[in-house]
Amino acid sequence: MNEAAIEAHGIGRVFESRKGFLMQERVRTVALDGVELSVRPGELFGLLGPNGAGKTTLTKILSTLLLPTRGQAKVLGVDVARNPELVRPRIGLVLGGERGLYNRVSARENLRYFADLFGIPVERREPRIVEVLARVGLTDSADRRVEEFSRGMKQKLHLARGILHWPQVLFLDEPTIGLDPRSARETRKLVRGLVSDGVTIFLTTHYMFEAEELCHRIAVLGHGKIIATDTVAALRQLVGGDRTFEVEGYGFEDAELAQLRRLPGVSKIVSEEFGPRLRLTLRVRTREIVPEDIRGVLLNHAELSVRERGTSLEDVYLDLVEEGT
Amino acid sequence: MIELSVSRARSTLASLRLAVLMFLADPQWLIPSMIAPVIFGLVAFEIFRGSGPYFVVYAILGAGMMSMWGQTLYGSGWATGQDREFGTLEPTLQAPTPYLYVVLGRVIWNVLSGLIGGLIVYLVVILAYGRPPPLVDPWAFAGLFVFVVLTLAAVGVVFAAFYVYTRYAGFIQNVGEFAFYVGTGCMFPVVLLPFWTSPFSLFFPPTWALDALRYLAIPGYAGFSWGFGIDLLGAVGTTAVYLAVAGSVFQQVQRHVLESGDLQEY
Ligand SMILES: Nc1ncnc2c1ncn2[C@@H]1O[C@H](COP(=O)(O)OP(=O)(O)OP(=O)(O)O)[C@@H](O)[C@H]1O
Ligand SMILES: [Mg+2]
Repeated sequence: MNEAAIEAHGIGRVFESRKGFLMQERVRTVALDGVELSVRPGELFGLLGPNGAGKTTLTKILSTLLLPTRGQAKVLGVDVARNPELVRPRIGLVLGGERGLYNRVSARENLRYFADLFGIPVERREPRIVEVLARVGLTDSADRRVEEFSRGMKQKLHLARGILHWPQVLFLDEPTIGLDPRSARETRKLVRGLVSDGVTIFLTTHYMFEAEELCHRIAVLGHGKIIATDTVAALRQLVGGDRTFEVEGYGFEDAELAQLRRLPGVSKIVSEEFGPRLRLTLRVRTREIVPEDIRGVLLNHAELSVRERGTSLEDVYLDLVEEGT
Repeated sequence: MIELSVSRARSTLASLRLAVLMFLADPQWLIPSMIAPVIFGLVAFEIFRGSGPYFVVYAILGAGMMSMWGQTLYGSGWATGQDREFGTLEPTLQAPTPYLYVVLGRVIWNVLSGLIGGLIVYLVVILAYGRPPPLVDPWAFAGLFVFVVLTLAAVGVVFAAFYVYTRYAGFIQNVGEFAFYVGTGCMFPVVLLPFWTSPFSLFFPPTWALDALRYLAIPGYAGFSWGFGIDLLGAVGTTAVYLAVAGSVFQQVQRHVLESGDLQEY
């Protein structure tokens, strides 16, 4: 199949709300402003972006919970706004959070209810529930009321519900939020397992290492638009290289900075205050530069520290978001 | 790949089952819903005391309907309001089952628990007054009674759509509830109301059905001037309209909330 699993063209979404005394004031929020993206079948696609960038809004539009105010989106080749009923059985959605579950009944009963609404074959319902509860690590709490659950346990139940009906495309909005490190790791393992089963995954997260560890490709969303989409490696090149040097010292002069910029492969220098000192962050494309080259430029600085580290996804992300503004 | 087969009947049953489970998990709300019928029963009894034996029947019918009305109609909308509050409206609408069938399951549960309210009213009035005189036609009465419950359910379904539509539905219904009791002739016969109210009440199937029911309970009853036959026809007709539009009302409402994007608000 060549067709994209998820496709969005020019997706825009405006929210109209009212506020103030007697709701007199109209507020217009542009949450999405022409989103273009395409996710391949079997791909694990990550969406990053600052708070309020529109990640949840986009996730809801793609999973048929919200209509776009413009543009078109297709999931598994079906228009989500025109034929949501054809999309729903084939996708799973995990919005997570403290809400969204029937607190007064058990985890198992929550899953039974949704298994029925999704039309899971009757004879497969119970074994499937046992299976997904085990997969998210809730076997021991299966028959406890959800109101007794911790936040992380609720998050796991959300996940269990999302995968219950063998969705071909799974939307995960911050799936590991509120999970302890071990559970978060288990969840990432689960996500990888789903991908190797052929499930296409669309994931939003604020955890850079999570995105880096899991995602085949990453898109960065800022102010309702996609700023960049690519593999982490390609995004590193996009922001100026996969090597980053951090230089700390006192009072660098403009001439010195200019000299550093002229070093081969240096694509970008950011200087910021770091306590009483200054920190320079150098993005470098080539292998040619070694710390001594930098020290060579900054000879007359005592107490100089030069460290090399790889360009992290966080660097990439911060650069892209900054450029986007 | 596993074939999913979404069934409306199964979804309705699942929703009924969940409603019962939620009730069993927290059954104390039955107490407030039992107090109302007792009060309705006593008030109706006081109002109609001394107006002849058949006015007791009137009292039972009126107060019984009011408590069933509360349970069936209000309960169904309320459950949807709860879905908003719990944040379960989003995942439920995201499921491939039309939400109408989820509501239907809850309406069935509310009808069943509403009947308990009706029974309480009956017992209260009997305890206060003694046995009411025999009904004109007990079998036809029983049959029609079941139908009256159905008319309530039909209105309940359509009203629940309102709760999906806006988070202010609960507020609006709280204000409107009393007007409903009066307007549909639960409390007083509609013919006693100011003329302008009747056209409104005729939009509601229970108005017709309840009037028809009184013909079967009270000898010589004269409600609407058109008589029993037209009452029955009106009840069947309006109910059919409600049931017929329920599906498309829900479709519209579901569409609307996807547009407005306030599903998670409560
Ligand atoms: N129902 C709504 N009504 C009005 N505005 C909304 C609504 N939902 C979202 N918005 C606005 O749309 C914008 C995008 O919100 P969204 O929740 O999609 O962001 P996000 O990227 O998921 O943020 P976060 O990282 O904090 O989860 C925000 O400005 C938000 O205030
Ligand atoms: Mg979000």
